[in-house]
Amino acid sequence: MAGPALKRLMAEYKQLLQDPPEGIMAGPVSDENYFEWEALIPGPEGTFFEGGIFPTKLTFPSDYPLSPPKMVFTCEMFHPNIYPDGRVCISILHPPGDDPMGYETSAERWSPVQSIEKILLSVMSMLAEPNDESPANVDAAKTYRENRDDFKRRAQILARKTLGID
Amino acid sequence: MLQISPRLRNTLISIGSLILTTAVVSNAFYQRKQFYPSIIYITKSNASMAAIYFQGLTLVFLTWKLLRWVFFGQLRPAEIEHLVDKSWFAMTDTCLAFTVFRDEFNSSFVTLFTILLFLKCFHWLAEDRIDYMERTPVITKLFHFRAVSLLTTLSFLDIFFVAYAYNSLVTRGASYQLVFGFEYAVLCTAVGFTAIKYILHCIDSLHDQTAPWDRKAAILLYTELVINFSRVTLYTVFLVLMFKMQSFPLFAVRPIYMAVKSFKKSLYDVIMSRRAIHTMNTLYPNATLEEIRAGDSTCIICREEMTTSCKKLPCNHIFHAYCLRSWFQRQQTCPTCRLDILRPRRPATAAAPAAAAPAGQPAPGGGAFPPGQFAFPQQPHFHMGNMAFPFPLPPGFPQHFPMPQPGQAGPAQLPNLTGAPMMYPAFYPAGGMMPPPPPLPPMPVPNFADMSEEDLRRLEGDSRRALEMRVAHLRNIQALLDAAVIQFTQYLSLMTPPVVLPAVPLTSTTTIPTGTSEATVSSSSTNATPSEETPTGNSESDEVRRRRLQRFQNGLAAEQP
Repeated sequence: MAGPALKRLMAEYKQLLQDPPEGIMAGPVSDENYFEWEALIPGPEGTFFEGGIFPTKLTFPSDYPLSPPKMVFTCEMFHPNIYPDGRVCISILHPPGDDPMGYETSAERWSPVQSIEKILLSVMSMLAEPNDESPANVDAAKTYRENRDDFKRRAQILARKTLGID
Repeated sequence: MLQISPRLRNTLISIGSLILTTAVVSNAFYQRKQFYPSIIYITKSNASMAAIYFQGLTLVFLTWKLLRWVFFGQLRPAEIEHLVDKSWFAMTDTCLAFTVFRDEFNSSFVTLFTILLFLKCFHWLAEDRIDYMERTPVITKLFHFRAVSLLTTLSFLDIFFVAYAYNSLVTRGASYQLVFGFEYAVLCTAVGFTAIKYILHCIDSLHDQTAPWDRKAAILLYTELVINFSRVTLYTVFLVLMFKMQSFPLFAVRPIYMAVKSFKKSLYDVIMSRRAIHTMNTLYPNATLEEIRAGDSTCIICREEMTTSCKKLPCNHIFHAYCLRSWFQRQQTCPTCRLDILRPRRPATAAAPAAAAPAGQPAPGGGAFPPGQFAFPQQPHFHMGNMAFPFPLPPGFPQHFPMPQPGQAGPAQLPNLTGAPMMYPAFYPAGGMMPPPPPLPPMPVPNFADMSEEDLRRLEGDSRRALEMRVAHLRNIQALLDAAVIQFTQYLSLMTPPVVLPAVPLTSTTTIPTGTSEATVSSSSTNATPSEETPTGNSESDEVRRRRLQRFQNGLAAEQP
């Protein structure tokens, strides 16, 4: 007994174990529940978030991969594309079809071809290059746009926090 | 403040309530010595009754705990969340129902209401549990035992209560039993749906992993449709009855709205699914084994090996028919390249053979349109010979262009085309929908970037007006392309007889009819004219022509879709 969603999640988990993308660790929270995953995203080298290891939680819908999962940073974050409550706002996680803002083309959005690995890599590149248009966290976007040094300082504080330093 | 766990708190409350009740009862018995006087004493005393009511509540809570443990074991956090959400809604609805039946409000009403809420909770939990079957790799025997016993108990209870309500309605007339009866009838549909789902999941699990049972999704869709339809019917009957007997049932508005909404959704799902299946079966071929083996043989939707029953989309992407169908219910695009499968545009590679198709016959892709109505070709036809236009041309546009044979006729026989390239502004709608057309040839294009959002949406829409607009634009493009072809031939014919041209000085071209068309064309082109008119030497004018031709060809190439 396993629905298509579960089969696909198991296949992706197997794939991630066999051939993990560099620096990323991801897996279901328990063997019983494949619809909740935890992932650790390393701050890409040479960027504001360098050095940090950011814990996230992925929640999959029962019709995955037809609908995208939801992703939340479980640590404190200060980033233009992450809501203050940790929810990640990137186009790959948006369901196709309905674009309330008319902002993204459908080519950037979710489709069954995408995978957990691609999501995690997209989030890594989002950490590296914040997109300050249509921000999820206006404060962070403003700081990023107007005061890059301050943004970097705050990002570094957060990165160190995730390692348990200070 | 002291932190205590909910478990400990509940235990303390239960024990406290039990002690309180014992105290109240023993106090009454100690004072009155006999059974009946003590009962009367308790019922007369408000404080004692409060203690008894509290004990009742505790007992209900404990029963709930016990039954929950028997049928479900440990609840998952998601289940608890759903339960809390739904019970709040149910509470509000029933409180509204109280207002209608305020005259009949008594302890039996409260009891029945509590039982109803109880059973509702179990229905929701059962549904969640059965859905969970699809999401967990381990299904124990205990799970099956619990599911079967729960579903049977629930359906028996539902039927019993419906029968009870019916009897009471028949014997005693309209009362709150009407509401309860319909509530249980709706619960019957819910338990029926859950049972069907359970059976389907079981059948699915019996099937081999390598050959998944692909009819499950379709059966589920139709079951949902039927269940939702019966729910809507039930609510309609309920509404009518309530309206006749009492008043408008305000409390039922939310559930009715939800039922109608989910019915609409399931109907829409079924229609979309049917359309997708129809499209898939009629338009796209099954992929052959060779085709599957040629590429990556993993279906990118479910990440499993593809063996049989795969479909190939026009963009050459191959998927399981089963996976595609569930995706097409949401989106009618190719999952990989997002090609719109309902209105496929032919890929660029197909353009070349299509151009060779006989003129005047609609291209194969145009079959989606009613024949004869909008039979414009999907690909522009380029024919150097006489060309019959597949659409009526505006008056004044020559139906046939006698194309000069290069090298044979020479420039002298070129038709006077002054009208042709200048025609197109007349085709544009007079309403000012389009920005003023950019400079004349080479190749004006409607500038989409400059168009407002509204204009684009109007262009994109499927109303009659939009279709007409689209046809008009296609005609414009066709006419322009044809004009370009004619110009191109003119240039060619000027170029090809290298013997003739150098012999005749360019200044003398005014004497032959070409001069007029040449002048028209060159005046509209950007800056090539001055060098054209100064015959500084044969090689130089040749060079100029070549450059113009080059630019022209580039323009033409950029124009082609």
